[in-house]
Amino acid sequence: MNVGRRPAVALLCCLLPLASLACRARRRVVVVGSKNFTEQLVLGELLAQAIENPEAVKAGRPPAVTRRLDLGGTFLCHQALLSGQIDVYPEYTGTALTAIFKQAPVSDPAQAWREVRDQYHRLGLEISPPLGFDDTFAILVRPEDAAQWNLHAMSDLQRVANRLRPGFGYEFMERQDGFAGWSHAYQLSFGQAPRIMDLGLLYTALAQRQVDLIAGNSTDGRIAALGLVQLTDDRHYFPAYQAFYAYRPAAAANLRPAFARLAGRLDNRTMQAMNAAVDLQHRDPAQVAGDFLKHLDVGASARQGLPTPTR
Amino acid sequence: MGWLFYLTQHRTEALGLLGEHLLLVGTSTLLAAALGVPLGIWACRSAAARRWVLGTANVIQTIPSLALFGFLIPLPLLGGIGTTPAIVALLLYSLLPIIRATHTGITGIDPAVREAADAMGMTRRQRLWQMELPLALPVIFSGLRVATVIAVGTATIAAAIGAGGLGSYIFRGLATVDNRLILAGAVPAALLALAADGGLGWVEKRLGRR
Repeated sequence: MNVGRRPAVALLCCLLPLASLACRARRRVVVVGSKNFTEQLVLGELLAQAIENPEAVKAGRPPAVTRRLDLGGTFLCHQALLSGQIDVYPEYTGTALTAIFKQAPVSDPAQAWREVRDQYHRLGLEISPPLGFDDTFAILVRPEDAAQWNLHAMSDLQRVANRLRPGFGYEFMERQDGFAGWSHAYQLSFGQAPRIMDLGLLYTALAQRQVDLIAGNSTDGRIAALGLVQLTDDRHYFPAYQAFYAYRPAAAANLRPAFARLAGRLDNRTMQAMNAAVDLQHRDPAQVAGDFLKHLDVGASARQGLPTPTR
Repeated sequence: MGWLFYLTQHRTEALGLLGEHLLLVGTSTLLAAALGVPLGIWACRSAAARRWVLGTANVIQTIPSLALFGFLIPLPLLGGIGTTPAIVALLLYSLLPIIRATHTGITGIDPAVREAADAMGMTRRQRLWQMELPLALPVIFSGLRVATVIAVGTATIAAAIGAGGLGSYIFRGLATVDNRLILAGAVPAALLALAADGGLGWVEKRLGRR
């Protein structure tokens, strides 16, 4: 089944340049890209709809937006941005530093954002202000276990680690900032070797008491839906994974007003709720993004006179 | 060729995963045969039996593997995580080719031969064991061969539920965007499928010659 995807990817690689050329020949459009998971689809839609904003439509000059969402992963998106096949896509500071620029991860969010911005500048690219949420690894336990063993922070795990059955996804096991570094930083020795399996199934396995502790993503909608307890990273081990948009300066005029609307407005809880709406309530990402923007504008007009969010 | 270099460097680990993979395929296919052949025979009894058995096997085939694992986790005995649910899932996916081959093999027998068996006064059981199964064997075996080859490929998904196998390399490669690792899992799995197909094809020829 993994083999089956390859022809599709190859086809995509061939069609992408053709499609974007065809669009550009007519007029200047903004091509919005995203990676291939729920949160990225929502963020891509959010930006696309924020660009197609009602004021511009009223003025009779709505900027044209082409959606190239659901691209297969970080590297494909970055390459597409570099070569100008897309103008903008959502990225995370930690991913950009480690996966794209091969730098050491940084745990201070502000410093990580500045370093990422400088790295993108060297490639002739720009980044938006942070959107507000941090999609980092979340160490999760069942609420009854958290209550029984009084678990709040990751350092609390030391007392009970030998009684817990951990389960982790392939990414957490493989990454430099994943299991090896984390268990060392918190000096954890678990009672048994971690179960390694698909991250999506791990949430079910945790809820069904097949494992006792998992590493999920902090913006996953299932955390709230299953009532899981997320332990705080009291030793600040995990690097910052603040979300932002990476973009080509040529598209800045169309993008900046949209960034101004979105920057700092998406906290972890908001992103969790939108991810849950798509993953658990099976709503369309475009609809979820549209509802959020409507809500945002109502909130903004109610708050008129207050300073705009951090830029 | 980075994947080949990787495999030679991690020989012990790779052989361990290959062993897990073979165990998953072997166990699930044998169990599927033990369950599928009787079901195929039963499906020949009546049109209603055929509809139910083949219909169910068809529906099972359309369930996406990750969804099937999701359903299996809460089940006692057959479910949970690790090797057990992986074998159960592979078994379920192997049923259709085996049931269908058994059904086709038996219903494809010349009615004249069946009439002759009845005329000789064979009981239903005698007819099954002495005439129908021997005549249907080549077709049943070819179904088993198809099931095995499919299972070699499908078993890569077992890594999603913590059962290991060559799929571990594929999942690790996908998680870290490392084509070398993906190929280190996919190429041996493909070669294994070819080997299984060739080996069982050879056995099939011997069976046919008999």
